Amino acid sequence: MKVGLFVTCLVDLVRPSVGFATLKLLEEAGCEVVVPETQTCCGQPGYNSGAREVAMDLARKVLAEFRDCDYVVAPSGSCSGQVKAHYVEDLFHDSPERPEFEKLAAKWYELSDFLVNVLKVESVPRKFASPVTYHDSCSGLRELGVKMQPRYLLQMAGAPIHEMAECEKCCGFGGTFSVKLGDIATRMAANKVANARASGAKAIVGGDLGCLLNIEGRLRREGDLETQVLHFAEVLAGGSDDDQGERRPPQINADKRR
Amino acid sequence: MQVTSMFFKKTASMKLDDPVLQESLRKFKGKFVDARARAVAEVDAWETVRSHAARLRDHAIENLDAYLVEFERNATRRGATVHWAETAEEACEIVVGIAKANGVRKVTKSKSMVSEEINLNERLEAVGVQVVETDLGEYILQLANEPPSHIVAPAVHKTKEQVADLFVAAHHKPRLTDIAAMTREAREALREHFLTADMGISGSNFVIAETGTTLTVTNEGNADLVTTVPRIHCVITGIEKVIPTLEDFATLIRLLPRSATGQSIANYLTLTTGVKAPGETDGPEQMHIVLVDAGRTKFVGTDMQAMLRCIRCGACMNHCPVYQNVGGHAYGWVYPGPMGSVLTPTYVGIENAGDLPNAATFCGECAVVCPVKIPLPDLMRKLREKQFDRKLRPWGERLGLAAWSYAARRPSLYAALTKFAARFAAFLGGKERLIHRLPGLDGWTKGRDMPAPEGRTFRELYGERQRRKASSADERR
Amino acid sequence: MREHEIGPLPGIALPPDGLTQFRNECERLGSTCAEALRLEDVPREVASYLASKQLEPRVVLWHELASLDWAGAGIAIDDRPANGTDRVGVTGCFCAIAETGTVLLLSLPSRPKATALLPETHICIVSKMRLLDTMEEAFARIRNEVGEPPRATYFVSGPSRTADIEQTIVVGAHGPYRVHVVLVP
Repeated sequence: MKVGLFVTCLVDLVRPSVGFATLKLLEEAGCEVVVPETQTCCGQPGYNSGAREVAMDLARKVLAEFRDCDYVVAPSGSCSGQVKAHYVEDLFHDSPERPEFEKLAAKWYELSDFLVNVLKVESVPRKFASPVTYHDSCSGLRELGVKMQPRYLLQMAGAPIHEMAECEKCCGFGGTFSVKLGDIATRMAANKVANARASGAKAIVGGDLGCLLNIEGRLRREGDLETQVLHFAEVLAGGSDDDQGERRPPQINADKRR
Repeated sequence: MQVTSMFFKKTASMKLDDPVLQESLRKFKGKFVDARARAVAEVDAWETVRSHAARLRDHAIENLDAYLVEFERNATRRGATVHWAETAEEACEIVVGIAKANGVRKVTKSKSMVSEEINLNERLEAVGVQVVETDLGEYILQLANEPPSHIVAPAVHKTKEQVADLFVAAHHKPRLTDIAAMTREAREALREHFLTADMGISGSNFVIAETGTTLTVTNEGNADLVTTVPRIHCVITGIEKVIPTLEDFATLIRLLPRSATGQSIANYLTLTTGVKAPGETDGPEQMHIVLVDAGRTKFVGTDMQAMLRCIRCGACMNHCPVYQNVGGHAYGWVYPGPMGSVLTPTYVGIENAGDLPNAATFCGECAVVCPVKIPLPDLMRKLREKQFDRKLRPWGERLGLAAWSYAARRPSLYAALTKFAARFAAFLGGKERLIHRLPGLDGWTKGRDMPAPEGRTFRELYGERQRRKASSADERR
Repeated sequence: MREHEIGPLPGIALPPDGLTQFRNECERLGSTCAEALRLEDVPREVASYLASKQLEPRVVLWHELASLDWAGAGIAIDDRPANGTDRVGVTGCFCAIAETGTVLLLSLPSRPKATALLPETHICIVSKMRLLDTMEEAFARIRNEVGEPPRATYFVSGPSRTADIEQTIVVGAHGPYRVHVVLVP
């Protein structure tokens, strides 16, 4: 099974560890993973800023890069929503290229959805004993129905889940919204952080790096340097790749006793 | 109403720092949301009803001309006079004309968002007509001389203490802070107006083509008094409100109160058709129906047409995380929240409402809860496309977007730029791995740190890993 | 014009037992419900309701109801349309709707809307024979029996209310504070 990994632009730039954790999860589950090196971005930032043409160009680029894969997996509900929902239903809705994009959408999965519903994994590489709270990212939740999948996997890792109030409420990231309307985004992040902390969890876990950076940014600004903010892939697989020593130390309190 | 939507960003920031407003919003948040969730859960076929409603609204809009003519024919047959207003100005002139021709001195009004659009109260008062808003929320705002901040709960931004002060000033009675007692005081103050008004003005939630019927949906019963007691009844409503049949109303009313306030039904659904019959002691002698365009036809036949399905329930704003935090006034015109972010730029011109299409994270809650399935984020995105095409966004934003667009299509350049950016930003992050201030990204760093990148891109690291794997494979060979 | 196509009906619109659902929905909306075995028993039922609420035994009512024996139940009546001073209004209805606990009233010269609207207490007499499941059925019945909706066709579901001050629900905004339904055969 040849699985293309769509790294996402944020993971590439800011948190390669999430990419390697994803890679590890897929490889340990027996996938042959390929990572097309020309990949850049799914086009969503342009798409949501009204730049339709560049979004279409980038969609075509993504299509070409993953044409040979049986599946494509991304550690992001947002990028996956862009591909699975918006390429087909909007950008190429009336285009002769639409069937190609339908095929792409059909083989494209958000990571947790892929692990649970395609690979049907029954175990994950790491154990994680600290209580976590899960933030449902908007696109994954509402465009793709990602809700129970990451929770199921977190339980597999042994992580107790302390649900926070309003776990489905937007954290305020919203791509460029987080900068254009920073004051509102900050307030939304502050609400999220308050709910997360009230849950008593030691780590805030999510499936989209944009949300996680937003939440972590607010958490740290409020002076909380303790609560961890992690992608679920990091929880499940650890934050570092064995080949790599120099990246940021994984923030994970993996339960070493197990 | 003066359009101040261009200043959304600035106003919103002020609203975030307004402790009284924030307290009101804190009380508001969740109430409608939870009530709606419970009410919707009781309807097993919710999605089926919703899809049917969306289709029937589309059908009505696609045949707008035919159904409006049918409506006019039937309403006229029943003794009403139908007026057509292409602009807000025309609509006001018609209503003022009716008031003048009939020597109207006092008007009681039930809630009408269209009248807010066209500044009707101001125009009537200018010719010496006393206008009394009778919906409790609207009445409070009339006393405060403020516009509504929500289409269903207009005074949601007011605390009861603020309302108590307004009542003392208006009613000259001892200050009450018990909400039930305050409501009774307002009831008594308004009852006198109901019984002495010459003309009642109401909106109409829908107008029914087959019967020439207009209708009001209220809990207070104020619209019933407005449409029953005075000798003239004037309905003012948007042309898009037409639906073909009574059965269509039955479908829509399963959705409207549940979506709006979480009620299974509103207390008063009142269908009004024509004037009083011979021998009737109540009901108006004259009924005027003003059908207002004022920008609505700008949607017809465009990729924004779905917006005209809107049944004004307010669910989109109730659930919107932006609205929940800044309230309705920040949106700068009559309609706040996601529906306002689509309606306002189209009604008043996108150049006058530039921030609104951007006042959303595209979290999608509005589209999920919309009872007629309006794809609000998609419509806002289309407005962003228009802004992009017309170069209406600030130059800095356009420059950034252009640079990103150029680089994202050129993998080698992109790799080089991100390689540099990852290192530079990691350096800025220092030991803490947090960037406290980043010029150009002040919008972010004003209230949040920026977690710093790890220092090298995935692309670089993965490339190295693959090369190492290849060489170790070679060694083994 | 489209045919009178009926939209999809959810389960709540298809009650297995309309009367039970009607009573339950009334209760939810804050209406009270009582039953009289015969139409002639209505004045006595009304009298006991008024006594239980400590209301003066005086009602304004629709003319068609004036022939019942109100005096025998100790109730003074005003056989005229209600005005702003009346405290209790008694009306009939065109039909009732089980789905939502609603009564539907139609305006006629002899059936003034003011009587249902202006007094603080509205007592509505509902024949169980005219209890329908849905609004769609009510519209069909209007077409059959009346032809088209009269000037005022109004669905009343519980007492008047508002939540305009801090979303706190207060009963008795501009219409009645109390809606009492008396079911008759």
